[in-house]
Amino acid sequence: MNNKKPIFSCNNLNKHFGATHAVNNVSFTLNQGDIFGLVGENGAGKSTLIKIIGGECIPDSGNMFYKSSEIKWIKSSEALKNKISIAHQEPLLVFSLSAAENIFLGQECTKGIFIDEEEMLRKARLLLKKYPIYPELILDKKVDELSLDERMIVEILKALSYEPNILILDEPTASLPRKASEVLLKLLEDLSKEKKITFIYISHKLEEAIEVCNKIMVMRNGEKVGILQKEEIDRNLVIRMMINRDLNQFYPKKSENIENTVLQVENLNTENLKNINIEVKTGEIVGLYGLLGAGMNEIALSIFGINNFKEGVISVNGEKLHRVEVSDMINKGVYLIPPDKHRFSLFDSFTIGENITITHLYNVFPEFLISKIKENRFAEKQADKFGVKYENINQLINELSGGNQQKIILTRWLFKECNILILVDPTVGIDIGAKRDIYNLLRSLTDNKKAVLLISSEINEIVGISDRIYTMRRGKITAEIKKDQITQENILKNIL
Amino acid sequence: MEKMDNKKDFSANLAKLIKNRELLIILIILIVFFSVMSDTFFTTSNITNILLTTSIGGLLALGLALVMMCGDFDLSFASACGLINIIILILIDKGLSLWIVFPLGILAGVLWAGLNSLLIVKLGMHAFVATIATWTMCTGFIYWISGGATFYGDYPKSLTFIGRGTIGIFPVSSIIFAVFAVITILLTNYSKFGRHIYAVGDNSEAAEYVGIDSKKIRIISFLLEGFFIGLAAVILSSKLCSGPATGGSGFQMPVIASAFLGATVFRPGLVNVGGSILGVFLLSIIENGLVMLNVRWYFKYIIQGLIIIGAITSISLRGKSKGEGPKFL
Repeated sequence: MNNKKPIFSCNNLNKHFGATHAVNNVSFTLNQGDIFGLVGENGAGKSTLIKIIGGECIPDSGNMFYKSSEIKWIKSSEALKNKISIAHQEPLLVFSLSAAENIFLGQECTKGIFIDEEEMLRKARLLLKKYPIYPELILDKKVDELSLDERMIVEILKALSYEPNILILDEPTASLPRKASEVLLKLLEDLSKEKKITFIYISHKLEEAIEVCNKIMVMRNGEKVGILQKEEIDRNLVIRMMINRDLNQFYPKKSENIENTVLQVENLNTENLKNINIEVKTGEIVGLYGLLGAGMNEIALSIFGINNFKEGVISVNGEKLHRVEVSDMINKGVYLIPPDKHRFSLFDSFTIGENITITHLYNVFPEFLISKIKENRFAEKQADKFGVKYENINQLINELSGGNQQKIILTRWLFKECNILILVDPTVGIDIGAKRDIYNLLRSLTDNKKAVLLISSEINEIVGISDRIYTMRRGKITAEIKKDQITQENILKNIL
Repeated sequence: MEKMDNKKDFSANLAKLIKNRELLIILIILIVFFSVMSDTFFTTSNITNILLTTSIGGLLALGLALVMMCGDFDLSFASACGLINIIILILIDKGLSLWIVFPLGILAGVLWAGLNSLLIVKLGMHAFVATIATWTMCTGFIYWISGGATFYGDYPKSLTFIGRGTIGIFPVSSIIFAVFAVITILLTNYSKFGRHIYAVGDNSEAAEYVGIDSKKIRIISFLLEGFFIGLAAVILSSKLCSGPATGGSGFQMPVIASAFLGATVFRPGLVNVGGSILGVFLLSIIENGLVMLNVRWYFKYIIQGLIIIGAITSISLRGKSKGEGPKFL
């Protein structure tokens, strides 16, 4: 076991996306036959790191060495040619082609200038026999008709079809049934021993990673926290390494005055949500936390009326609603700040002022025509009140920094009386100072007897600011964690 | 030293004044150019003539701008206008009063646009595909009704008042156009509804999240377009007093071109009503000026094509520096 040869190493890799330092000075070495686990919270930089290794993303700085020579991928096909392949978390498949055609996409079997469908199907069957993760898979079915887990199998087979030396698996078991997961994990162990294939394995399922990996690297905020050898690996240690705790004093103090329920969701059911029951009271910030895709966003969209729901009752101030319209909710003072401000919130061709007044246009201007002067004066007053930094209210919104754009979005809602504020990932991609301003703003809302429901993929934020937390897993609420029990360990226990 | 500052101030002010108004400058230059080159261009009768030819295309351009501002499109408006023209003339020939027929013509335009909006907004068809289909159908209807021949009939004298009459040097149709142009500019640039149109056209998802019913806004824009198509058809029938099978098709390209041209001014990258109006005038002045200079008639098509290319290029180049292309493509 100890005489393994290094096959890949990287030194001081860095990658920035705008102001975000996605990968920060990461170095590590892979030995031939390693199963190298990569763990960390959402947004810790794992996906970016493997994209760099697989040539899908070019690092800003740093070196990579593969089989003792330095490499610089410009595109992923170069990495594939050198037998490094990735099975993505969200399979990159062509839906209108069959499973077999997808597996051999880009390396089709040909007969003259034509594609040899039969030969391809035969080779796909051989591949499936060699790697029997899911023998039931029907290879000539269109990907369109396959289930989510079957698509993941196709993605893994596609990555295996390159006969890789290094295979990178991004959350391969997230959507797989238990049995297929077990087969896959067994297969990894066999392949690493017999064929000396090296694996990089990303998973939120810590138990699996601990069981199968011989090394685990923990990442946090784009940085490498440490690498644990097989004998050092311990679940609690890994969790502690994933978590950052020195940010506690960064958050405002918790609420002391929690009163009556203003928002109640009862037996909410949709395609992906199962029997959701939550409530939010005046004076409190309620956190909603789970892994990506566990259904938190859908709850927010259902409450605000963007998504329709099949069953369930949503009560606002005691008024029961079976169907919800966005404009009704806004009239009731229930506001949603969606994630991804560029996609869901900002009007790029509008000025700062126009981006502020758009939400409550009819309240700001009861008269028929808009007076530009009145609008600008009003917008300036509000922007100043919420501490937005700008030069001229007639600037286009794109000329502001991310933090100030987010403050504009808060301003556009909060200049009018708000009862319940729902936020989804409000602090993604903005700097520390703006983050703190937003936390203080949320706390001042609850001090004024408003209610806040916060959905965030940053566990620090959820723990730091929430007075109460619901955890979610696969469309279900798994636990309600109250004041004194709020710890990151307690949350992770209920979402993984 | 002070003088230098003044000079700097002046050029800065000039740049500010010109910014986003380049098309206006080009328009003025063209007017001066044609006036110098031709004795007949800058005369009362020719100006009346230009105004007269602009009002129908102008009304259609108002409608198309509203639809394009929401991110939709319409290729069928010109042939719809031609179809309604024939229907109006047939009804008048049958002896119906103008007071009944003209409102019916406008209603027909609204119904036509309502059909388009049903396909595009309610059924979610792509605007290009849907209106190519309705445009083709419309052409079929025209030939069905007219048998391919130009329709003539018995008309009262009063029919021509709207299309050919003048009050002073101003054609009646131009006054109608001017009134609706002002209303539409006010509606789009200064009303809450207009702001919502811009919001839907910019980011319809974000519009939903601030409580704007994007579908409703798009449908209303189509219906307003229909109103303008109907009104344009009324003026067309009054002007031509005949129903040629190709009655409306001459308006299609110039009106679409004027929308693209208009997107280079006032709110660059976005189709806007003021810009479209300017575009219509620019195109008809070029057309008229070329006639005055005895340039062969078919050159106007070549020039129209070049203008569309030039307009889009200028928007794309401007967008590139900011990392975005034209909003309406």
